[in-house]
Amino acid sequence: MRPCYVEENNMSFDLSVVASYWLVLLKGLALTLALTSGCAVLGSLLGFVISLLRMSPSRLVKTLTTLYVEFFRGTPLLIQLFWVFFCFPVVFRLPVPPYLSVIISLTLYMAAITCETFRGALKSISGEQHDACIALGLTPQVKIVHVIFPQALLRAIPPLLSNIISLFKESALISSVGVADLMYVGQSISNATAQPLEFLTTVGIIYFAVAFPMTRLVGVVESRFLRRFAY
Amino acid sequence: MGYQFDFGFLLGSVDALLKGLKVTIELALAANIMGLVLGFFLCLMVMSRWSIIRWPAQLFIEFFRCTPALLQIVWFFYCIPMMVNVFIDPVLMGILALGLNLTAFNAEAYRAGVQAVPKEHLDACVALGLRPWQRTIFVVLPQALRSALPVLMTNGIGTLQQSALVAIVAVADLMYVAKSLATQEYRPLETYSVVALIYFALSLPVSRIANLIERRQDAAVLR
Repeated sequence: MRPCYVEENNMSFDLSVVASYWLVLLKGLALTLALTSGCAVLGSLLGFVISLLRMSPSRLVKTLTTLYVEFFRGTPLLIQLFWVFFCFPVVFRLPVPPYLSVIISLTLYMAAITCETFRGALKSISGEQHDACIALGLTPQVKIVHVIFPQALLRAIPPLLSNIISLFKESALISSVGVADLMYVGQSISNATAQPLEFLTTVGIIYFAVAFPMTRLVGVVESRFLRRFAY
Repeated sequence: MGYQFDFGFLLGSVDALLKGLKVTIELALAANIMGLVLGFFLCLMVMSRWSIIRWPAQLFIEFFRCTPALLQIVWFFYCIPMMVNVFIDPVLMGILALGLNLTAFNAEAYRAGVQAVPKEHLDACVALGLRPWQRTIFVVLPQALRSALPVLMTNGIGTLQQSALVAIVAVADLMYVAKSLATQEYRPLETYSVVALIYFALSLPVSRIANLIERRQDAAVLR
């Protein structure tokens, strides 16, 4: 038993206390990873569709999708989370469980940032290739499916991975609506044990241990994989 | 029966919202100044010849880029006072956390800009007999700043949005005011919608300008 009035004890950095909580932390990490990967897949698909819609000739569709992307990139994710969490049940008049509301907002956010990625990739295909397609007499459909898409999708891989890393980091915000992810678990333990230094640092290291290899992976994909296939 | 919208109550809380907005803008501006200045020095450190300078700087960047901003803010608010045993003003602490986060991101943005400075310019500096600090400040910095500007601005908007996170550690910024208003008045829908629009209105012009600069730079490269 440690008397709490001993001032110096506050400072001691005692990582052994973390060991007894590893299972809970692991559970939090599992939820964070599950939500991140699920929303990454859903958001990428939605983002891809929206990036295509943004290039549609219809002015209305273009304006609406642009507005969507600008809005989700121009407001804090925290407010988007709160908005979906508190307002969806009111607007649609049905109960939305916290998990679902978190999935909805992370997916919408991911779709908005991913849409920009795909748009950049589609734009990066040089004008000569479009000319070449016309010269070869390819139909627009063949051009898009066989010439533009394969290259654009390959080039979109590195920024897409970066987006997934951002999503992984941003997913820490869901702790604020009470979903028991890694951040939530870390904060509750550090509040309960009054040892924020140990637990918050541990949580930071866990996030780092997942995100850092992923950032390296982006570099590897960019330098090895893409150089061979896309350029 | 549909939901009855009522934005009227917000009129009574304009003062509170403005106060929160002021804190948010303060946080974002101060963190941006910090990020712009320190980011450049950090970038120079990362590109240094000596690994003893390079490694800590790289570690700093990777650590801030690979952990959630929320965690960094919570860590700063809980752990810094414990470690150094002083109480720092919450807004200042928020600026510190957001500013250091932005520093790491801006250093990466500057790096691309610095690498884009042609080697001939550096040779010219040697030929003109400029000192290393003169070369850095008068030749490298202006060019790096110019080519990194769109990314720096995008990062700056990112920090404006990350600044909403300090609401979680009870700094009275716009988001915090919104949270307390929404719970007080039982009207989260109106409050969060209006506050989201305020954030949007703040960031949209900057992101438009960043877009414009980027397009002009692309056009200049093609020419």
